[in-house]
Amino acid sequence: MKNSPVSVLLLTCCLLLSGGFANAATIEGRVALPPASAATVVNKRYEIVSTGGVVATNPPLAVVYLEGEFSTPAEIPAVRVEQKDLLFVPQLLAVRVGARVEFPNLDDTFHNIFSYSPAKRFDLGRYRADEKPVPAVIFDAPGLVVLRCDIHEHMRGVILVLATPHFVVTDEAGNFRLTGLPPGNYKLKAWLNSRTTLERTVELKEQSVLRLDLP
Amino acid sequence: MRLPFATGFTAEAARFQWRLLAVLALVVLMTAAAVLWLARRNIAQEEEHRRETEFQVGLALLRSAQANRHAMLVERCRTLATKSRIQAALEDGGVDLLYLSARDELRDLLDNPAEPVVKGRRMARFYRFLDASGRLIEPEPGVAAGVLAPGEAGKLSLSALPDEPKIGYLLLSLAGQGEALHEVVVVPIISNTDGRKLAALVLGFVPLRLESAPGAAVFANGIWLDGRLHLQTTGTVNSGSLSRQLRPWLETEALNGGRLRISAPDGTWLVFAQRIETGAPFAPAYEVCAFPLGEMLERQRVLGWRVIVAGAVVMLLGLALSYFLSFRLSAPVEQLAHDSHEQRERRAEAEAALETTSAELGRAARFSANASHQLKTPVAVLRAGLEMLQARGTLDEIEAHEVEVLIHQTYRISSVIEDLLLLSRLDAGQLRLNFTAVSLSELVAAVLDDLSALPADHEITVEQDYPPDLRIAGEKRYTALILQNLLENARKYNRPAGRIRVAARTNGKEVFLTVGNTALRPIPPDAREHIFERFHRGGLGENIPGYGLGLNLARELARIHHGDLRLDRSDAEWTEFIVVFRVAESETPTS
Repeated sequence: MKNSPVSVLLLTCCLLLSGGFANAATIEGRVALPPASAATVVNKRYEIVSTGGVVATNPPLAVVYLEGEFSTPAEIPAVRVEQKDLLFVPQLLAVRVGARVEFPNLDDTFHNIFSYSPAKRFDLGRYRADEKPVPAVIFDAPGLVVLRCDIHEHMRGVILVLATPHFVVTDEAGNFRLTGLPPGNYKLKAWLNSRTTLERTVELKEQSVLRLDLP
Repeated sequence: MRLPFATGFTAEAARFQWRLLAVLALVVLMTAAAVLWLARRNIAQEEEHRRETEFQVGLALLRSAQANRHAMLVERCRTLATKSRIQAALEDGGVDLLYLSARDELRDLLDNPAEPVVKGRRMARFYRFLDASGRLIEPEPGVAAGVLAPGEAGKLSLSALPDEPKIGYLLLSLAGQGEALHEVVVVPIISNTDGRKLAALVLGFVPLRLESAPGAAVFANGIWLDGRLHLQTTGTVNSGSLSRQLRPWLETEALNGGRLRISAPDGTWLVFAQRIETGAPFAPAYEVCAFPLGEMLERQRVLGWRVIVAGAVVMLLGLALSYFLSFRLSAPVEQLAHDSHEQRERRAEAEAALETTSAELGRAARFSANASHQLKTPVAVLRAGLEMLQARGTLDEIEAHEVEVLIHQTYRISSVIEDLLLLSRLDAGQLRLNFTAVSLSELVAAVLDDLSALPADHEITVEQDYPPDLRIAGEKRYTALILQNLLENARKYNRPAGRIRVAARTNGKEVFLTVGNTALRPIPPDAREHIFERFHRGGLGENIPGYGLGLNLARELARIHHGDLRLDRSDAEWTEFIVVFRVAESETPTS
């Protein structure tokens, strides 16, 4: 199995978050991803594509998350979306509501990040790499936020703000693994693109490993 | 045909004159009418053609201005579609920020009431966006996109977005202003990532109007929309009356463009109309242009008077000319009629005279023939008596000689009577020839043989020179008579021990026979004309026997042989006659 550094980071993050539960359950499985767009991306950078008004990544990735009632932690660690080589890295990011995302400029040119998405509207204005402190936005409402750069029209990124701490981005084959989940009845959802979110009701038992493919 | 009376000519000539006059007057009248008609038509056609050209040129300029504007707007929308904020507004659910995001891009398209209109660059009075389904997106408060009166903006919504820029005409009222015709341009905004029609930009303009070229006629123009003419020019024409008259025409036959001449209370107008290519969602509209025809009608009226005056002048001249011409033309006709009358009279006289002459001639010939016949018998009786007296042998020597002379004289009388009889038959045209081929050599030989029987006073040599097989067409008796007369003369009027030469040559059609002799003395020049007359002896025959009929008879006979007899030469040395005969047909057998 081949994981991207981002997903490894996210998995680690999730494992750390759920580490407090000794009786944690795990869900693993595979999301059936739509076929990749004809244009293959050689450098493995994900691209946000908008086809018929539907925003998705290319090659396709999914965000799998568990929906339910979870306690709100006092502090949520900050995450970064870099602007590097005129791209957002990562291009698809899932965060928990209330998360603070920093947007460092690693290029030697101006960027102007903004979003018109109803979930979070902001405009960071123009700044360069030496901007201190690093411009950051706190995403306080769940939803899809499309990141754009006012200067570079092709730059696009997606931040999926979720009301849950249990989420993971699949690999390119659609494989996922969610660990440290509290037992109970939940809805397991897989976000494929701005129009499609798959869901399944799951019942998690203590220290169980649930094998589940979507759909 | 009856000969007309002298008064008839004058009456006929007068009638001819009047007819000629009437025809000429008619021609002048018709020509003037045709000229008038053609000139009027020409003026009208020229005017219509010029106006149509002006209209088409104006339309072409207008279309070109519209095309330029479309190109500019398409480019503007393409730029808009690439802008991150426009994309974000349209794709990321930020429609409420659309006008704000586009404000800077579209600011220069809008009419600024504070600034005067830049000449030639008519700005939009408002702009609006339609969403992907064609519904109007209301501008955010505070964004200057042109203020439409309440409820008017809804008119801009479309059922679907067009694929390319469309032009249409709508009656809209802007805030604080009355209803006015607006030229509306819809330009789709195409996504530059997936080619989707994201939205459309709608701009409202004061309609472009036809500009009249400098020096061109002042005209009224406007847009025909929904059964009404919306004039863009003011004060020159009553829109209502024009609309009323235009409606049936525009709604039926002029849909593909055309022209119409209408009379309104404020003058006559020449109207052109051409359909404007409006987009499907918009009602059809027509560009209408009305040219006043007052000037042209005035020109036609002036020209009409000129032609009428010119026609009258031409008519008068024509009348004078036709009178003169008819006089000139009818004079020869009159003369001709007169002449032919005289000619007929003269001919009749001549014919009568000819008839009389012919009758007299016939009578004379008959008399001559009868007389000759009547003379022949007494001469024969006389000779018989004299011969009987001679044969009795009772006469002495002197008496016998006298009787001898008397007998000889009766032969001469007989000979004269024969000749006269022949001539009278010739004169009466009663001599019919039996043409045969006569061998010239045989003929000459026979005649010479006869002559040698006569008493020869002098030793005369006869030379002959002709082709041996020459044949002439004629009757042997009479050809022999001709030759006999000539040879007799040649012998009688010869010198002692003189020569006679008979020669002939031919050119294939005619035979020229010459009979010459050594001259006793030349025939005087004034006598040469008369030697062929009857009883004329040329003043040289005092002591030579003869009575002056021979040459005349010979010539008459030669002529009825289709030939002739002429004196060819007469001088101190030689006298020569020439007879012309026709060559005999070769197949004719010798008689």
